[in-house]
Amino acid sequence: MSRTAPPRKAPGASSPVLPVSLLLAVLVPLLLMPLAAVFVFAFRGGFKDFVSALIAEDAQFALRFSLLIAFLTAAVNAVLGTFAAYVLAKYRFPGKKPLTIAVNLPVAIPTVVVGTSLLLLWGPIGLLGKVLAPLGFSPMFAPAGVLLAHLFVTFPYMLGAVKPLLDELEVTYEEAAYTLGAGKWQTFRYVILPALRGGLFSGTLLTFAHSLGEFGATVMVSGNLRLRTQTAPLFIFAQFEAGNVEKANAVAAVLAALSFAIFFFLLRWSGPAGGRTQGH
Amino acid sequence: MQECSQWGGSFQENAPDGTPGRYPYPPMGRLGSSSAQRSGWPRSLSALVIWGAWGALLLYAVWPWLPGRGRQTRPRTIIVYGFSILGDALDRAVLPAFARHWRTETGERVEFVTSFAGSGTVTNQLIMGVPAHLALLSLELDAQRLATAGVIPAGSWKTLPLGGVVNRTPFILLVRPGNPKGIHDFADLGRPGVTVVHPDPLTSGGANWALLAEYGAAARHAAPGHEREAGTASLRGVWSHVVAQAASARAARTQFENGFGDVLVTYEQDAVHGNEKDGKKKKSAPKWEIVYPPSTVLSEHTLVIIDKNATPEERPIVHALAAFLWSDEAQTLFVANGFRSVRDELNGANPAFGTIADPFLVADFGGWTKVKKDIVDTIWKGEILPGLGK
Repeated sequence: MSRTAPPRKAPGASSPVLPVSLLLAVLVPLLLMPLAAVFVFAFRGGFKDFVSALIAEDAQFALRFSLLIAFLTAAVNAVLGTFAAYVLAKYRFPGKKPLTIAVNLPVAIPTVVVGTSLLLLWGPIGLLGKVLAPLGFSPMFAPAGVLLAHLFVTFPYMLGAVKPLLDELEVTYEEAAYTLGAGKWQTFRYVILPALRGGLFSGTLLTFAHSLGEFGATVMVSGNLRLRTQTAPLFIFAQFEAGNVEKANAVAAVLAALSFAIFFFLLRWSGPAGGRTQGH
Repeated sequence: MQECSQWGGSFQENAPDGTPGRYPYPPMGRLGSSSAQRSGWPRSLSALVIWGAWGALLLYAVWPWLPGRGRQTRPRTIIVYGFSILGDALDRAVLPAFARHWRTETGERVEFVTSFAGSGTVTNQLIMGVPAHLALLSLELDAQRLATAGVIPAGSWKTLPLGGVVNRTPFILLVRPGNPKGIHDFADLGRPGVTVVHPDPLTSGGANWALLAEYGAAARHAAPGHEREAGTASLRGVWSHVVAQAASARAARTQFENGFGDVLVTYEQDAVHGNEKDGKKKKSAPKWEIVYPPSTVLSEHTLVIIDKNATPEERPIVHALAAFLWSDEAQTLFVANGFRSVRDELNGANPAFGTIADPFLVADFGGWTKVKKDIVDTIWKGEILPGLGK
């Protein structure tokens, strides 16, 4: 089995002590200490307080709802993102370049702006919402609105993970498959999909992780309704603002732990070489 | 098909390695599939554990929504929005009391979906179309904004008991323990070296009440004919020392608790209730003291019913809840949670309430429409903020 070449040593590497300690001096207060603080504060009132804050109905709802939305977002965008990547990588058509830019835009747009624009489109006073609301279809301030926002915000992750692989995949393989009598679907299923597997995993995970932590767009479109549309990040913010720091921290600690777990899962699948681990 | 799958496999193994740098993204996918190359799907134990964990996570997430998990009768749902300091009083006391009351009366279960934010934020959300049935706003002005936007019929809240006012609370000053800066009145906030935390009048209803308190306390004791002058001077004194503005009264208190400023201008309810909550839990000395100014405003909180968001079947229960807010039971619960009842005889029940020599109401200054125009817009926004370079 031919594997990728073993990682090369950095050329002319000298003693790592100085640069590494410099890096640590920057990273410890910048990244590691804030993360540690969440856990220290979460358990400051004792384990019992932590658990009782966590099993409260609204905290449980917020966590479950966030996870559910993250699963749905990851599932939908896995399919949608792969399809978009396939179309953009394999077909030539006028307006391809602007479209490629457009589908990557959500990365650049502030999430609050995404929330606002969704409201102005689907909201009860929005462009489409005004027409649809009398028909009983109003996704904003409902779980569907949260899903819409998360699909929008996380769309480029799948694309970013899958499209480079598709670009790399030479047409000859596909042509060979066709020559051997494979249909379009068979080619996709047995030639293209296996080559994309790693990208699908990492893209789905990134989507999931981002959705789990999404705040800016969600706060706009959800109406922040406790036990109905309040996601875990919104719960944390609402409880913190209300002065219930312990409740906020308990959920924050769980969310942080989940993100760590997802991150390690991501590392495992993407190998020690890391790769593109942007986001959270 | 056979050929195809072999093609897939051999593509994997012979995948070209020598093209780094050609693409903006590292070829994560190829690396990623390493452990799953031969078997198709991962079979090793650790993979099993990881997939099991994902499965468990998914199961946990969907658990309450699984079919067959007892939801005997769907409870009735009422959606209530409120301004920031109402959270505890409604969620933990008044709404559960109504649910009990309704259940014994009709046998139906009621559940509440609530959301709390600054009064201005709540108003904006209502205008954007959140599906609230009832909203408790911290000032009547927000109700008027809702009427202008067509969310509720104009003046509809005035047909409710007491013109829609559910409860009150005076505006007070919170200072650090021991009152090191010797603050006793709004006028003291203008002294050099005093720093003030204030909610933002643009999003917080409470902040508008605070503006009226700061202006009114001085204006009521000025020589006849000099009310405007005295009130403006008092406002200018306070606002030249504001160091932090939070979006809501609650958020302002959180800032104050975190060590910002010498003084916080806020609702008595928030201070009384906050002290009770902390005292019960930690038995530590309170982080602040309440100072009652000799003269201050009693804020009045207005209920609006958004009938257009309720179906005809929902309306009776929504109106029943609205009426319940003025009942003895609800008013007593409000007092227990630090609000002053609209019925003075009930207020003796909370020993934490202090005395105010000269309380006044917004009606004493001609109602909110006039106060908004003359004091908030003309004096505060028009004269004081530009003068301070804000």
